[in-house]
Amino acid sequence: MTNPPDFEVTAGGAIALQSIAVARKTPRRLFWERLRQDKAALGSAVAIVLLVLIAIAGGPLSQWVTGHPQSQTYDSMTDAYGVPLGPNSHFWFGADSSGRDLFVLTMYGARTSLFVGVVASGFAMLIGLVVGLTAGFFGGIVDTVLSRLGDILLAVPQILIAVGIVAACGVSKSGCLHGLLQPGLTVVIVVITLFSWSYIARIVRGYTLSLREKEFVESARAAGASNFRILWQEILPNLMGPLIVYSTLLIPTNILFEAALSYLGLGVPVTEASWGSLLSQVSSSGLYNVAWWLMLFPGMFLIITTLAFNLLGDGLRDAFDVRSER
Amino acid sequence: MLAKTLQKGDYRVRKILRFALAAGLVAAFVVFAAGCGSKKSSNGSTTTTSNSSNSAYPGTYANGSSAKGGTYTIGWEASFGFTDNFDPTGEYLGNAWGLYSNLMLRALVGYKHLPGAAGNDLVGDLATAVPTPTDNGLTYTYKLRSGVKYAPPVNRAVTSQDVAYAMNRLASPNDGGEYPFYYTVIKGWDAVASGKATTVSGISTPDSSTIVFHLTAPTGDFNRRMSMPATAPIPPEVGKCFEGSKSANGAYGRDVISSGPYMFQGASGKFTSCAALKPFSGYAGANGSHIILVRNPNYDQSTDPYRKNYVDTFKFVVNSNADDIFAKVQAGQYDDEVSAPTPKTIEQYATSSTLKPRMIPNVGDRTNYITMNLTQPPFDDLHVRKAMNYIINKAALQKAWGGPIPGSIATHVVPPVLYNGGLSEYDPYATPTESGSVAKAAAEMKQSKYDPGHTGKCTASVCKNVVMISDVRSVDKTMAPIIENDAAEIGIHLTIRSVNGAYPVIQKPGNNIPISDRSSWGKDYADPYTFFAELFDGGAIIKEGNTNYSLVGITPAMAKTVGATGTVTNVPTVDPDINACAKALGQARITCWENLDKKLMTSVVPWVPYLWPNNVFIVGPQVTHWNYDQFTDGPAYSSVSVKQ
Repeated sequence: MTNPPDFEVTAGGAIALQSIAVARKTPRRLFWERLRQDKAALGSAVAIVLLVLIAIAGGPLSQWVTGHPQSQTYDSMTDAYGVPLGPNSHFWFGADSSGRDLFVLTMYGARTSLFVGVVASGFAMLIGLVVGLTAGFFGGIVDTVLSRLGDILLAVPQILIAVGIVAACGVSKSGCLHGLLQPGLTVVIVVITLFSWSYIARIVRGYTLSLREKEFVESARAAGASNFRILWQEILPNLMGPLIVYSTLLIPTNILFEAALSYLGLGVPVTEASWGSLLSQVSSSGLYNVAWWLMLFPGMFLIITTLAFNLLGDGLRDAFDVRSER
Repeated sequence: MLAKTLQKGDYRVRKILRFALAAGLVAAFVVFAAGCGSKKSSNGSTTTTSNSSNSAYPGTYANGSSAKGGTYTIGWEASFGFTDNFDPTGEYLGNAWGLYSNLMLRALVGYKHLPGAAGNDLVGDLATAVPTPTDNGLTYTYKLRSGVKYAPPVNRAVTSQDVAYAMNRLASPNDGGEYPFYYTVIKGWDAVASGKATTVSGISTPDSSTIVFHLTAPTGDFNRRMSMPATAPIPPEVGKCFEGSKSANGAYGRDVISSGPYMFQGASGKFTSCAALKPFSGYAGANGSHIILVRNPNYDQSTDPYRKNYVDTFKFVVNSNADDIFAKVQAGQYDDEVSAPTPKTIEQYATSSTLKPRMIPNVGDRTNYITMNLTQPPFDDLHVRKAMNYIINKAALQKAWGGPIPGSIATHVVPPVLYNGGLSEYDPYATPTESGSVAKAAAEMKQSKYDPGHTGKCTASVCKNVVMISDVRSVDKTMAPIIENDAAEIGIHLTIRSVNGAYPVIQKPGNNIPISDRSSWGKDYADPYTFFAELFDGGAIIKEGNTNYSLVGITPAMAKTVGATGTVTNVPTVDPDINACAKALGQARITCWENLDKKLMTSVVPWVPYLWPNNVFIVGPQVTHWNYDQFTDGPAYSSVSVKQ
């Protein structure tokens, strides 16, 4: 995107080109200029920063402000039948079915949700990157085996398999795989990673197939560069843009996956706060028409988080994509 | 202008619209949630309920006249949860007994299927009468009624040899019996149990309508023991298809041959061979979705004075969502439920004059408790177990179940009703309003080896990451944080594992589970023996299906056999006490059990008992008659009726 050359008509009618001052812009600057115009993406980025701060400090801070520890149960916050009571001046978000402060739980829930979303997405990106790069770059039988493996994972009913794995690892004191997989966050992250990497692998493979035929890769190969060097220095840098975009889209997907597992009672333990497990109380206890706060606050945070990541992902994708219109 | 802008794909406009849509979604969500809650605010949430005494519960419901016909549909929460795949020889689930006793099986003696004390009166069922023992209490002779026939595909008359076969099956170590210990008093039983004989010598059948039991010692409650489902007749020609190997354990459950008024749907034709015997369609398996029972065409009502059998078909339908179950009961899609009403449901019914009659609390003859494993640290220390009894907020756990209607707070092992009201004031770990006491708990904890600094908190590393097995039922999810919070007050940090079906996990001693809140026990019959023998007899500890979760009385040798590890030496035992009380009669027997209860609560302390539950049932609008069956602690299915 260069400026048209300046010119002026001389007295004789000839056109004389003047010295041209071309404003050269680096890809990074172009990216930033495009992203800066996207107010939704910027707003989402701010929201995500706030959510990360909540995840880091929100739990302890809310505990300090309210004086209500996360695990503390309050008899006064359930009625004579054990039904939780709603928001008041001391319990801003009301209480959950055990009489715990929902505000504190929701703040701690941010930590769980973001931790699971980010860590599981990180592992999925790493595995997907390695598998996709390998399959796309080497092709042949390697490509066939790895791609079909990914296809198989895409074809299996994920929730059912996830339910099976989580349930199997929860029945003994030592977990499963000789204690390697303990019920709780570890299993949840493993399960989500297992079913997430194949999406990334498929995308990376497609980009790699295209990039390996480019002239700069041919040049590197002609210059005697090793496969590893080509992958590391020529192809990988060109994948960073798409990877960043897809990671922002994968994180909210995985946050919802964790919420779904917790909603089914298979996620984090009931004593640990998670937006999904808080929402599950509404259903399993049949509290949705008497304890609206249990649905509203965790649900609202879940919506805001997933929306923010999705909008940021959209913005990043558009900013990276020079063909997109503004 | 706007159209043109959109045609060009103006990015900002799209973003603004997307934001507006998102904001609208959030707003709609808020409005919807608030709208859902409006009903609650009009009802108020501070209504209190009277702490009704158990005698206030008549256990009956009537809504019109009873007539024959119709289908009675029961929503069954989560899964059937059978202990032996519905095979009567090994099935120990109380809800399964409700089906057996009311609908499918006729043991020698039975009950009237009524609520209250009358429901615990023994009557002849397959036998013509409850026999009086002879030979100084050592011989029991039962005469069988004529005209009792098996359902298809067997179709023949029930004989005394069929009862003897069921007893031998129960005695055999290979056929998965869960409570054979009740019958070791029969001569020759142990020889079969140890594999030295194949038939119990103390059981004889002089003719096809007479069966005689010879005992080694007088046993005051022997007739009651013969009311249990495992003693009901099994036709040997079918039973033999499923015996003798571990893999066959419980498989008979799919083809139970009915001797009662109802049978599995799909039971038909004539039995020819084991190979030709297919699973009946009315039983979808222990992990299946349904049980359907239809009338047994060979049943003769004149042989049965105590079952009314109004309904044509029973449908037991598994439903994973308790709230959905109660919504369907309220709407009339289900007539009954095998579930636990949530606090919200109890409040809804208790505060509505129209719904209240359809909620029927009944005395449960049951104790809910937190079980602590005596071999697993930190619960291998008596003072830790006592501290747990002081710290647990029983009032909060009672509320988790829905307040006083679902049950009263338990203070010891056996409900006072089984002591004829005895020990009703006994409360060795009393705290103000039963809400727990940090001071009392800390005083106990200071004496523990796991609190070397006498801080009042468990400071040893064994108190970190202590696994507690819980279930995924909503009430368990509510209780777990309360227990976790209470235990943390004395330095015990629990790691909660919520599993779908906690019993199979805690019933394996080899899993070495330190603590669980899922445990609950109801009487097998109206005698405290049915608590103590099964829950605390060290000799009854088995590798799978074990119900002595605390491993009271386990020995190192036995621990090796069942895979239990940890502190397996010098585990306290009450085996001699159980044996002594079992021989006692009359009031001396009751007093003996009471003393054993006290000993358990003060010297052994394997539990934190927290609730003597009332069994609260909610019936649908189509139900015209319902009553409680005190023996099975569930609905008297043989008496229920529905509108046509």
